[in-house]
Amino acid sequence: MSDVLRRLLRTPQGALGLAILAILVAVCLLGPLVAPVDPEKIDFLGRFNPPGGKFWLGADQLGRDMLSRILVGARTTLPIALAATLLGTLSGAVIGTVSAYLGGRWDEAIMRTIDAVMAVPGLLLALLIVNTLGKGSLNAMLAIAVAFAPGMARVTRSVALTVRQQDYVSAAIARGEGSGWIVFREMLPNVIAPVVIETTIRVAFAVMLFATLSFLGLGAQPPAPEWGLMISEARGYLHQAPWLIVGPGIAIALTAIGFNLLGDGLRDALNPRDER
Amino acid sequence: MNPVLAIRGYTLEYETAAGPRRVLDNVSLAIDPGEVLGLVGESGSGKSSLAWAIMRHLPGNARERGGAIEFDGENLVGMDRKRMAAIRGRRIGMVFQDPATSLNPTLPLGRQLTEVLIRHRRLTREAAWREGIELLRRVELREPEALMRRYPHEVSGGEKQRVVIATAFACRPNLIIFDEPTTALDVITGARILELFRRLRQETDVAGLYISHDLALVARVADRVAVIERGRILEQAKADQIFIAPTSDYTRRLVAAVPRPERRLTRDRPGPSPVLAARGLNVYYSRARLFGRREATGARQISLQIRAGEILGLVGESGSGKSTIARGLTGLARFGGEILFAGRRIAARRDMDSGYRRAVQVVFQHPDSSLNPRHRVGEILARPLRLFGGSVGDIPRLLEQVRLSTEYARRYPHQLSGGEKQRVAIARAFAAKPQLVICDEITASLDVSVQAAVIELLLALKATHGTAYLFITHDLNLVRQIAHRLAVMRQGELVDLLPVDALTSDRAHPYTRELLAASPAPVGQETSSVG
Repeated sequence: MSDVLRRLLRTPQGALGLAILAILVAVCLLGPLVAPVDPEKIDFLGRFNPPGGKFWLGADQLGRDMLSRILVGARTTLPIALAATLLGTLSGAVIGTVSAYLGGRWDEAIMRTIDAVMAVPGLLLALLIVNTLGKGSLNAMLAIAVAFAPGMARVTRSVALTVRQQDYVSAAIARGEGSGWIVFREMLPNVIAPVVIETTIRVAFAVMLFATLSFLGLGAQPPAPEWGLMISEARGYLHQAPWLIVGPGIAIALTAIGFNLLGDGLRDALNPRDER
Repeated sequence: MNPVLAIRGYTLEYETAAGPRRVLDNVSLAIDPGEVLGLVGESGSGKSSLAWAIMRHLPGNARERGGAIEFDGENLVGMDRKRMAAIRGRRIGMVFQDPATSLNPTLPLGRQLTEVLIRHRRLTREAAWREGIELLRRVELREPEALMRRYPHEVSGGEKQRVVIATAFACRPNLIIFDEPTTALDVITGARILELFRRLRQETDVAGLYISHDLALVARVADRVAVIERGRILEQAKADQIFIAPTSDYTRRLVAAVPRPERRLTRDRPGPSPVLAARGLNVYYSRARLFGRREATGARQISLQIRAGEILGLVGESGSGKSTIARGLTGLARFGGEILFAGRRIAARRDMDSGYRRAVQVVFQHPDSSLNPRHRVGEILARPLRLFGGSVGDIPRLLEQVRLSTEYARRYPHQLSGGEKQRVAIARAFAAKPQLVICDEITASLDVSVQAAVIELLLALKATHGTAYLFITHDLNLVRQIAHRLAVMRQGELVDLLPVDALTSDRAHPYTRELLAASPAPVGQETSSVG
């Protein structure tokens, strides 16, 4: 593991991605401590204050300090988006690999089911699940994971089908290895590259999906300083106070860029062929 | 007479992360009009790099360090793109190794052939079409009109290569570069392609650069032969002389490593009792769909027996079902009929218990894909030990057995050469202490000197463990050196099964004799009547 980390740091993308993510982690852990004011403190005189002076990143329609809200909001936003993505992509990857390994009728059955699930738009599916399970952050996370899994299963299966044809898989079958070993030890490590990349791209989507759910009142509940929720609430004041969108928007973009860079770096670092 | 192509002191390096790597070192060659120069070398010798240097299609990290490539008196090095585009395809043609990938699968053959004519000879579409049909007729393809409309996947590999050759000859070039044009084809198809090439040469008087790793082939095709090793030309001589009286040690070693059927490498007799027998074996390959299954029979009604310590050679053209048998015997494909093993009858895949799996091991053709790239050699060898009983402490011994040092256990497959990977695959098979090892074309992708070493290793392992081999190959010369008996396959059926010394007798099936005639005579002292 330390070997991978060392190689990750040696690539410029990996090092930069890791640096950005380190900042985000720090914000998650220390956000409330460094936030200048209480994120939920309402200041009627400061409503729609532009950035500068008292409010570094401006103030929202209730006069709450944007910087504080962003710093504290990282705590609600990031862990849930990350957990949802990891859960969704990992289960999708396992489903895709198993499907490719089993082949034949099982493959048909699994993939057609996945097609059926994919026919429902991700947001609608998430809505449906949250409605069934009840609203709240944890259920929203589960819903996002379920919405992500089918797409991931498709991507993984296409790679796994090629891996399935490789002689090392044939060799494992010929010596009578169990299915678990073949799927998890022989095949999965060789399909991990597209999974990692897809995962890192999807973290940003997860943030947005979570925001949408929150906006509809099914995810985080106001007045929680969740980034997506902040953007949703600010959309009515776009022309009066664009900074209400810019602040959390940049935070989400930074998250996305950080994970994407990390994904690029990981792709190189996880490849044992890479001699750098 | 001025040479068509003259290469003088050409040096080429590739920029890599580990510093510059020299692939061609002060290469000087000349090809006269109408002459074919053979270029022989093992993998990594720089022979393909030379072809691409002549075609001016080098990768971005290539650095030319001096020298000249003169084509018809003009230096190609440093020539601008536009003028080079007029030469490439028009005056220098090229035929690649694998016809399956050198044709565009989304265009009909006719379009690909006429494109060259329209571009370089400025023919109209109709005239090009007529000329295309004529060209296909010249490369001895039947029904050229229909063929022009077909897509590459609708014709065989041999036909594809003929179309590629027709394209190369289309603009009556002065020089054609052949990069292993028959390697991807089976013996008989390859022999016919060579015959075609010889005829076309007489008709068109084109000069050729024929690149190959196969000494016998080059000796047959070329007028002169140059031997290249690690980017250096070691020697050049007439084709009928070079392998009989080689001047460099390297060439001598190459010639010595070529399999020669009369030099038998096995002298022992197999034991009396059979290890494994197949009776009326059918092997299917199929893909079960949601509704019904589509199935094809890859091998039909195969009956054969392998005795303890025996080497049974299994030969045939590509697509004859040799590998399908291997897949059936190892339980990778569904089969019908029965397999008899250790007094037990095995009628389906679920009958193959751990005992059978242990006793019957397989080594695959491609060393690159038979080892999991994400596992270290140590882990790869540990698996069979864990499954079939044995301790992980045996790994150093296993490595020593295949003559690799024990530190290889810590390496990843990509850090090994092709021959070393194949040794690891063999070690993995022997970790299970098998009674039968199925070798599926295990030396096909290796260089001739590496092949010799792997074969020697297999025979040494057999001498210590008394293992039987089912040795699947398309190389008759090789299998005649080591096999006790030969099984010959054609189109999924076993046509012949005979002791190896009866191969040249009247007992052999006519098809067996045809195969034998098509396999190239090995080069070297004893068989100077090559050609």
